[in-house]
Amino acid sequence: MIALQDVLVQYNERVILDIPELQFAEGKRYGLIGENGSGKTTLLRLLAGTLSPTRGQVTRMGADGMGYMPQNPYAFSFSVLRNVEMALDGEAERETAAREALHRVGMDELAHASGSKLSGGEAQRMAFARMIAKPRRLLLLDEPTSSTDIKGTDLIEATLLDYLQANGCTLIFSTHSPAQALRLAEEVIFLDQGRIVEQGPAKSILEVPQNERTQLFLAHWRI
Amino acid sequence: MTTLSEILNLLFGPDPELRQIILTTLRMSFASTAISALLGIPLGVLLGGNNFRAKPFVYRVLHTLMGLPPVVAGLVVFLLLSHSGPLGTLKLVYTVTAMVIAQVVLITPIITGLAANIVSVKAPLIRETAAGIGLTPWRAVLYTVYECRTQFVSTVLTGFGRAIAEVGAVQMVGGNIQFKTRVMTTAIMMQTNMGHFDIAIALGIVLLLISFVINSLVSRIEETVGMA
Repeated sequence: MIALQDVLVQYNERVILDIPELQFAEGKRYGLIGENGSGKTTLLRLLAGTLSPTRGQVTRMGADGMGYMPQNPYAFSFSVLRNVEMALDGEAERETAAREALHRVGMDELAHASGSKLSGGEAQRMAFARMIAKPRRLLLLDEPTSSTDIKGTDLIEATLLDYLQANGCTLIFSTHSPAQALRLAEEVIFLDQGRIVEQGPAKSILEVPQNERTQLFLAHWRI
Repeated sequence: MTTLSEILNLLFGPDPELRQIILTTLRMSFASTAISALLGIPLGVLLGGNNFRAKPFVYRVLHTLMGLPPVVAGLVVFLLLSHSGPLGTLKLVYTVTAMVIAQVVLITPIITGLAANIVSVKAPLIRETAAGIGLTPWRAVLYTVYECRTQFVSTVLTGFGRAIAEVGAVQMVGGNIQFKTRVMTTAIMMQTNMGHFDIAIALGIVLLLISFVINSLVSRIEETVGMA
């Protein structure tokens, strides 16, 4: 069970996140959408345990079964392969699993390149490979395709859906793109100024939003 | 007018004093830089990699110490080590050890401040990435140090550059004693005051050469980091 109860995050008296109650069912796919500063990253960081709330309780699973990909994942200066192997410490067949993960994100040829020399999109794909290198029960992805091109985005989305199906893993991700939320999420949570303003099945929220703020946000995305 | 051959003769000739001055300078600068690095880099990692309530205050104190006038550092160390001072029994005043202590007081804040700035940029990203793949906070610190290694070398060389060029503090606590505590900077000052410009110029050339080598190393390392 992953849940938030009466959670408040404040910074210098400013409310960053205020969630009275929120629960995530295991094995389901959740998309967090909203404008910049709406609280998506803060919510993911709370769930990952890299941030503590000012008030309230966050119930989450242990670090063992969880993978969290931050918005700006760090690419270490050693090889891309070693970067992925870092996520597999203590695992048998580390190299094989890391190579397999890199293959799935189309980075076989970059396995021996230095992590610090990758482009933004390549670094994001490498960070995603770290996430899928081993079976996990929960994936937290903060804008996982913000730096990738269309081809890279398609590859990550397809690989992610395969991985989720194979592992029965819970997914909570943030995105600016309602189209991506519709492709990946079963349920969507729309955040505005640190508060949940609308939540429900992805199709109904994104196609027939009820809240004025959600309508306004989605209107910007319609051509 | 001093000729080039006279300067070269002083540098490479039989005069033992010049070699002694150069060796004392290098010994003092290497020792003070090594001690400052051993103190300053861990402190910088601690300061740059952690958030705590008093951090802004600690930074203000550190920035003040980074600009500490050498004569003030020299005065404090002199008062501590002088015969009537609290550490007078150690009889360290007018020794190379005293000069090293004064330089450590000057250089440690510089290395700490530079290291903290480097770490504060990388640490949050590394910490969050490491936590996301299940690494312990301790491993994240080790990876942070590893990722900052080349900038740390550059920081230490900057400290060495400051050490070798320092004059005020070492003059006060070392006393510029011939064949004992005379270093290049204090010797240049003394020889200039005495009108012995040839020796002052010869020492100046050596000092400049050492500074050039250090700066070249720093630039090379920064280029490597930039390319990495």
